[in-house]
Amino acid sequence: MKALNEGDAEATSTFQIPLGPQHPALAESESFTLTVDGERVVDASLRIGYVHRGIEKALEAGTYIQNLYLIERICGICSHAHTFCYSQNIDEALGIETPPRARFLRTILMELGRIHSHLLWLGLAGHEVGFDTLFMYTWRDREAIMDLQELITGNRVNFAFYTIGGVRRDISGPTIERIKKVLKVIRDRMRYYKWVALNERTFLKRTVGVGILRTEDALRYCAVGPTARGSNVKRDVRKDDPHGAYDEIPFNVITYDGCDVASRTLVRIDEILESANIVEYALDHLPSGPIRVKVPRSVPPNETISRVEAPRGELFHYLKSNGTEKPERYKVRTPTLANLASIRTMLVGGYLADVPIAIASIDPCFCCTDRVTVINEGLGSREVWTLDRLRKYAEDWYRRR
Amino acid sequence: MSERGEGENKNESKNANRNGNGNGNGNGNESLEAIEALKAELGKAILEVRQPREGRIFVKIEREALRKAVAVLMNRGFIHLTTITGIDLGNELELLYHLDRNGRLLSLSVKVPEEKPTIPTITDLIPGATLYEREVHDLLGIVFEGHPNLSRLVLPEDWPEGLYPLRKKYSVEDIRKALGGG
Repeated sequence: MKALNEGDAEATSTFQIPLGPQHPALAESESFTLTVDGERVVDASLRIGYVHRGIEKALEAGTYIQNLYLIERICGICSHAHTFCYSQNIDEALGIETPPRARFLRTILMELGRIHSHLLWLGLAGHEVGFDTLFMYTWRDREAIMDLQELITGNRVNFAFYTIGGVRRDISGPTIERIKKVLKVIRDRMRYYKWVALNERTFLKRTVGVGILRTEDALRYCAVGPTARGSNVKRDVRKDDPHGAYDEIPFNVITYDGCDVASRTLVRIDEILESANIVEYALDHLPSGPIRVKVPRSVPPNETISRVEAPRGELFHYLKSNGTEKPERYKVRTPTLANLASIRTMLVGGYLADVPIAIASIDPCFCCTDRVTVINEGLGSREVWTLDRLRKYAEDWYRRR
Repeated sequence: MSERGEGENKNESKNANRNGNGNGNGNGNESLEAIEALKAELGKAILEVRQPREGRIFVKIEREALRKAVAVLMNRGFIHLTTITGIDLGNELELLYHLDRNGRLLSLSVKVPEEKPTIPTITDLIPGATLYEREVHDLLGIVFEGHPNLSRLVLPEDWPEGLYPLRKKYSVEDIRKALGGG
């Protein structure tokens, strides 16, 4: 940082800051190289793949049932989105009709998953802007949803709930009552969080006008999910390409036009309320009948595409089957990959201090990028920063302003 | 993005909805118009058009016609590139460009020979294609000509050159051996 203070020549006035890679325990990790001129980010480039596990290759070696369990382990937060997408994809390739009750149950668990994922994000966003009270509150509320998921499926994270041809567990009257009770509490809490997001001064200062992704850029970079909807792009697979029971349940697609972190926060808060409505409606209109149908082990030659609106946006699965018990090719495109292309636009032109929250605002599957190296190219010095230090730097920097 | 009336779904039969799409008829016609426009612009470069169900269209085209086809479809509102899928067919590699227009997916399919797997980039038309092209390049060794930075995205820096893990000729054991593992 010395060169800056001394006002050296142009050549030494930009710094390259590698951000990441990260903690090996996390599901997804990226590494950014940020070029900064003073406090401004002037360029950012991206490298991912630190936890690339070759799952698409592994899927070609597994049977459809084995793959169901591997697919569930692609993500540790929205595992339900992957199994949902996978099971409806295989259903379509087999040409079977999923029982109505199963489609509703799939949808209910999906929306509970969205609530827990968005609450998790809200807490992390609070943490990134130095508002740890919000983190404590939302994660406590999220725990109630985790308990519901455990009540329904028997598991907290990898539910093993979705299966080819339906779901593996049914829900009963007492469970339905319990879910409704918890949702009532969540709804009240969300009204409070929305008040916080709209009125709390520290939160507004760190989110309004930060991490700008203009509508035309969101379209150009093919952004998905709350990232796109916070930039006023009305794109939601649940409405556009209905799956599960979404075509029979009324709900709104939430958009905000601020194109900043604040808008992406409000989209997620409102979506939690929508999700609570969807779950309640689905519970009230739950069709009777079987929850799964028996399916053959081999899938006839076919080519199918399945999409679901995961908490982070459009999740895409492609299947090419060849008549055997194993797929010829299975392709997965997660929403985070789709949104990473937009990150550069969000960072460039912004302040270094806003990098943590801007990256977090797309809700990538990494939350603790644990090492930052600050390189002064001109002087050849090199410093290693932890993300905590960058966060502290950000908080101090904002305090001084 | 066009607004769709939420009431439209109710007019359609439940069966149609169950198959995954209940978006009203307007979009279906617009998809057909897009195909007509493709046929008019590309002529014989279109090899096959298939619509297995509502909202899913597969169009096979000649490799040379790719950029033109993407441009035509973008003019028809297919501006969202969902992803690019690469498949090893043996002697050829297939690329599927999944383009979305309000929930309708049109998958453009092109084939490139295995010995010279090159295709022009579409990143200048759709900047969102950048990472998808890099991913396919990494895993299947397809070279996207004109891509601004076709560097490694998902594979490690010390990954052996020319070892493309999603090619069918490499088994998991081959890859393990090439990486020096047992």
